[in-house]
Amino acid sequence: MLWIEWESIAFLEKKFPSLRYKKNKELPFIEISKEELIPFLKEIKENPELKFKMFIDFTIVDYPLHSPRFQGVYFLYSPILKKRICIKTWAEDDKLPSLTKLWKGAKWAEREAYDMFGVTFEGHDNLVRMFMWEGYPYYPLRKDFPKEGIKDTYLPSLNERPGEFPSHDYEEYHTALPTLEDLEKTEKSRIPKKQAQIVLNWGPLHPGTHGTIWFLFDLDGEVVKNCDIILGQLHRGIEKLSEDITYTQIIPYTDRMDYISAICSNVAYVNAVEKLLDVEPPEKAKWIRTMMCELQRINSHLLWLGTYALDLGALTIFLYTFREREKLMDIIEGIAGIRLNSSYMRIGGIRLDLPEGALDVIKHFIKDFPSKLNEYETILTKNRVWIKRNVGVGIIKEEDVYSYGLTGAVARASGVAYDIRMIQPTDKYDEVDFEIPLGTVGDAYDRYLVRMEEMKQSLKIVQQCVEKLEKMKDDKYIATENPYVLPTLQETFVSIEAMVKDFNLRIYGEQAPEGEIYLSGENPRGELGYYIVSKGDGKPYRLRIRSGAFYNLQIFPELIKGRTIADAVVILGSLDPVVGETDR
Amino acid sequence: MKELILTSLAIGVKSVIFIIGMFLLAAYLTWIERKFAGHIQQRPGPLHVGWHGLLQPIADALKVLTKEDIVPEGVDRFLFYLASLLAFVPAIMILAVVPFGEPINIFGVEIKPYITDLNVGLILALAFGSISIYGVIFAGWASNSKYPMIGGLRKAAVLIGYEVALGFAMVGPIMQAGTLSLKGIVEAQQGLWFIIPNILGFVVVLFAILAETGRTPFDVQEAEAELVSGYNTEYSAMKFGLFPLAEWYIATFVLSAIAVILFFGGWNGPHIFGPLSPFIWFLLKLGMMFMFFLWVHWTLPRYRVDQITEIAWKVMLPLSILNILIVAIWIMIFG
Repeated sequence: MLWIEWESIAFLEKKFPSLRYKKNKELPFIEISKEELIPFLKEIKENPELKFKMFIDFTIVDYPLHSPRFQGVYFLYSPILKKRICIKTWAEDDKLPSLTKLWKGAKWAEREAYDMFGVTFEGHDNLVRMFMWEGYPYYPLRKDFPKEGIKDTYLPSLNERPGEFPSHDYEEYHTALPTLEDLEKTEKSRIPKKQAQIVLNWGPLHPGTHGTIWFLFDLDGEVVKNCDIILGQLHRGIEKLSEDITYTQIIPYTDRMDYISAICSNVAYVNAVEKLLDVEPPEKAKWIRTMMCELQRINSHLLWLGTYALDLGALTIFLYTFREREKLMDIIEGIAGIRLNSSYMRIGGIRLDLPEGALDVIKHFIKDFPSKLNEYETILTKNRVWIKRNVGVGIIKEEDVYSYGLTGAVARASGVAYDIRMIQPTDKYDEVDFEIPLGTVGDAYDRYLVRMEEMKQSLKIVQQCVEKLEKMKDDKYIATENPYVLPTLQETFVSIEAMVKDFNLRIYGEQAPEGEIYLSGENPRGELGYYIVSKGDGKPYRLRIRSGAFYNLQIFPELIKGRTIADAVVILGSLDPVVGETDR
Repeated sequence: MKELILTSLAIGVKSVIFIIGMFLLAAYLTWIERKFAGHIQQRPGPLHVGWHGLLQPIADALKVLTKEDIVPEGVDRFLFYLASLLAFVPAIMILAVVPFGEPINIFGVEIKPYITDLNVGLILALAFGSISIYGVIFAGWASNSKYPMIGGLRKAAVLIGYEVALGFAMVGPIMQAGTLSLKGIVEAQQGLWFIIPNILGFVVVLFAILAETGRTPFDVQEAEAELVSGYNTEYSAMKFGLFPLAEWYIATFVLSAIAVILFFGGWNGPHIFGPLSPFIWFLLKLGMMFMFFLWVHWTLPRYRVDQITEIAWKVMLPLSILNILIVAIWIMIFG
């Protein structure tokens, strides 16, 4: 059990009389009043027996009929107990105390909550919009905000003249768009006053940013004095969209978050929903999931390595890594049918069985890949230029990992053994044998070494999965006997019951029991957590996505201060954010 | 009087031949580079225009010449135009003093495969090399944009360091040859090539050429991941085309030629290819030198700008001075 038991924290009840321990199906949580929140968090952070010092996530759930309306939900992790805690507080007067004094990682999470719900945080040093632009009048994740947006901006058609018959059904009112003044205001609000000579804009479209992030560097010569990041160019409101569709329909959206490791996102989501619905997928599906996840992890790390080296000027590595990545893409395409956004997972199993010969191809890849990995290492690991650019750049201390809530390879490079595959194994991760590489210094070079080693470990896991899967050739791959699981296409063709079930599930969705769940998976970019609140409908009441890349990116302005622009690519590359996931 | 007219006519004709030849050569150097890079990266490179992409450079040239030439608002127009010329013209001017072989007799006419043989040839080459840097700095400044400015200033920082080291590293061969004329330096290497005592100087020259021409470990001025395209971000069409043509191809080629002349005996070599053997030897050495730079370019990551200047001042400059000392001792012992 990953969540803290009542016995361990019962002794705090005397000190905090409003403390309540409750259980909502899978998720035990603690409820506390707003006044006692900060002292309580401080206590559990510093108490030597508890040490809940790692910030995992913060979000808000909107209950329009309840008073107070908004509930803040905090997730923390204790590295010594290896347990998580979930704390809930009602935001009286739509205000909550800010956690930024305790955890620096709360800064962006609170800004996001402000942006999406309009809850203000007392004590936050720069509470501005996170994804939307300054001057945007609404709070999109509130329940009273319609999914299609509020169409209040007059945008006349450019090719229709008055008096003429309209050529198509053009609507003159649209949802709000940011104007240039809005963007300027946004920019000003992020770096309030210029400290140095010039403010260099990086992005939203820039070759160094790996997507559409907008960096602002306040430069003195080439030295960065101040930096901020404007996110939101890829914000699609997946959390909002999910509130209106069934659980199965959300799966393709998870693909499009971290589009480089789509299968990992799928698996994390599907596992969370399965736990909520009490669905047990067949053994074979679990092995296939584990295998595909690890293949996808290698795939993702290869893309990281290629683009990272490309940013540092080593053009050739990029093509070498893409050569291997292409093979992996072919394998994934052969199994899942789609190369990039494969949507391969289904609630209760997987979409398709392994095709004939898939395991042979994978076995060949396992045999072939170590020599290629060696090739990359020969070109880079001991390369003097590579070492000079990477060693000592962007050092992340262990305390920063906890404070910012860094996860994934970034945390492990700083020596924090935080790997969801180990602390909360899903699928078959508890049955395979692998190691977690740890760094010692926490600089960009360590992050490089950790990711390189992770690829080898992933290969080891894939090999074990292949060995297992060879023995379960004709097993079931999706638990269609479960009432929550969509039948396969073949079944709907031959049985009327399956057809009715298919119809019901597709129209009304999986009627999940009331409850809450927080389950995370180890994405190549860090912990990808899904917090689902179900009210007994066919669609989630609230789906919160805890994105690893979002939290990892948050430390970037801190790391770049006092370094040059040339180091920005190194630090950014080694943090490895994917904008689809940071923005969601 | 008649002699003067004849000489100037000959030089004029030769200059035209050299310039046109260099243009064509530079175009085909892009093809060589693209093929070379392609094979390093396990892809075929240009393949479809002509046999194995042989007509690709011409297609590229046509494309770049016919593109719309955009001059952004707010640029300093005079400097903006001047910059692309300043980058290109001095690079090609160095050719005036580079000899490609010994004078040969064809049908009784003596043809000298160089434009002039100045007694200050090397100094002139260095001077022209320095001028072309102004092109980059002007381009950065005149563009009135942040990325080009940072790129131009980076280049200036790099070049100040390497110009000094380059100058000192060339002193060794000059001391041994006792002349600044490039032809004279080649003729002094009939016996032993100057690479033997000057190995340190050669290493410095290699680094300096990489830095001057902005090839990979030192291509900070156009680090595409940081500065989009560096100093030439705002340029387009042929004005843009001139920068890489001048820097990556003509400058690399000409500086390789000077390195070959200084350290590898120029066109000296066994006469195994008949009357053309000096040319062939020279071009072979030159080609290998050029390929070496390509090889480095397509393999290594790039340094940070402060690391480059650090290497220039802390490693390269002492090395080049040490080289002078070694050569001086060599001359004292062997004469």
